[in-house]
Amino acid sequence: MTIFTIDEIRKSFTNGEVKEEILKGVNLSLNEGEVTALVGASGSGKSTLLTIAAGLQPASDGQVIFEGKNMTSMSSEQIRRIRANKFGFVFQFAHLVPFLTVEEQLTLMLDVSESKMKKQEQKKEIDKILALVGMEHRKHAYPASLSGGEKQRVAIARAIIHKPKVLFADEPTASLDSKRSKDVMTLIRDLTKSLNLTTLMVTHDEDMLSYADHIIKMSDGQVMIS
Amino acid sequence: MNMAWKEIKKNKGRFLILGSIVFLVSLLTFMISGLANGLSQDNAALIKNLPDGQFYMTKEANEAYNLSSLDNGTQDQILKKHQDAAALSIQMGLLNNHEDNQLSVAFVTSTPSPLFPRPDKGDIILDRSLKDDGIKVGDTLFNNQFSGTFTVKGFVDQSKFNHAPVAYISIEDYKEMYRTDKMQFIFEPGEDSDQAYAGLQSFSKNEFLNTISSYKAEQMSLSMIVWFLVVISGMLFAIFFYMMNVQKMGLYGILKAIGVKTSTLFKMMWTQMLFITVTSLGISIVLSQSFHMIAPKGMPFHLTFETTVQLSIVFLVIGFFGATLSGLQIKKVEPLQAIQQGEM
Repeated sequence: MTIFTIDEIRKSFTNGEVKEEILKGVNLSLNEGEVTALVGASGSGKSTLLTIAAGLQPASDGQVIFEGKNMTSMSSEQIRRIRANKFGFVFQFAHLVPFLTVEEQLTLMLDVSESKMKKQEQKKEIDKILALVGMEHRKHAYPASLSGGEKQRVAIARAIIHKPKVLFADEPTASLDSKRSKDVMTLIRDLTKSLNLTTLMVTHDEDMLSYADHIIKMSDGQVMIS
Repeated sequence: MNMAWKEIKKNKGRFLILGSIVFLVSLLTFMISGLANGLSQDNAALIKNLPDGQFYMTKEANEAYNLSSLDNGTQDQILKKHQDAAALSIQMGLLNNHEDNQLSVAFVTSTPSPLFPRPDKGDIILDRSLKDDGIKVGDTLFNNQFSGTFTVKGFVDQSKFNHAPVAYISIEDYKEMYRTDKMQFIFEPGEDSDQAYAGLQSFSKNEFLNTISSYKAEQMSLSMIVWFLVVISGMLFAIFFYMMNVQKMGLYGILKAIGVKTSTLFKMMWTQMLFITVTSLGISIVLSQSFHMIAPKGMPFHLTFETTVQLSIVFLVIGFFGATLSGLQIKKVEPLQAIQQGEM
């Protein structure tokens, strides 16, 4: 089922007197339980498209429809609420909060999403998700003591703890070696299936494409192959 | 989740450095303020410790109390009308003891009033600082303008004028010493005591203090030092909070990206600012008050708890504005920029 539609999205920047068009009318639909991979050369506009879809920057024109509502006409507070409650993010770098333990990173996300869970329930849910990403043994560790792969697993746990509808992953394996990259991609694909997530992932690594249900190739701000 | 507290717990070193700066700067300000107040007390405790009220001296004196000479008729008329008022005279002078040691004092005499000690003829009551110089009750003191002798009858606290201890004498002795039967000025206690008397000029307590030339010059310099310190401290606080916030811009961006409210980030920053400032000021207050208790007796140091609390409130307000101004960047920070910046 389609829950996310990108309709004729355009994005342009003015650099001095030169107007640069990064996205030239992109159309895209995302289905539940599927991993969609955005691929393309550097500068093709794939990361810009992902950040517009995730409500991290506005589009110059076009619509982003999520659960039947047009996000491009929403206030920044409404978009923040969607980001906090319905979206999960995994970035190229884990971007964990350096002064919080693994367990606290997930508690923070539950607080941000204004979860109604009681403390005991929160603890159980955190243990469950940490077990799912294979990090239950490091729940009291701070980010500084984790390896790159472990950090990315915690970032994935943080992205799904509040049961989002959409998972945005921007180059999630770019900072990892090939073994850890495969582990993380397996995890993202398995979680997408088991939790019925809608995952939009940007990658430049062709080895990772085998984990995607759909591959969208972008070039020069346009979708070339879908 | 209390992120503010968790960050303090994890980054103790960073917050300790910031707290130390707030502590050292506030302690320095308290100490300088204590010295300024001490000098002020040393210069004019006799006047400063009086209740609020009005001073009256002759217009011809041109705002110099020692040139003022009250007409006896006017004085009697005012004192009859206001029974709690007192006529006073102050003259700087010297006292000698049997060992011929000279003591510089301010001779003070007054008409009957509960505000000023009134020794009998031939008796003298001194500021307690002279007791520390070895003067005892019963000692005999001399003055070369006075034919008789003074017998020390007792000591009073906090009675200084023009950096000299006060020596209270009877009106009769004063008249003999200074060959005058006129008093210099009248003090009338009470907040609504400002009255108009023909030929007299009225002064509030602060206005009267400023007619003492050494007091005004001294206090202006010291007040300027204290307020410069307060302003510089405020700027220091703002700069340090700014530096701390700049270092955390990436973190704030990521937190905004995952949906943390900007107001939550401001609350986090204010909580940390309050914790650091209140803790540091608390230690400064305890230390400066302890120093007040153990300061050497000859050192003019006077720091009331009220003064430290007032200065602390000024510091808190400045710290709050400094932190808020520097924190305005939190509002501007773009989540996208933080994500693209790389690992924090």
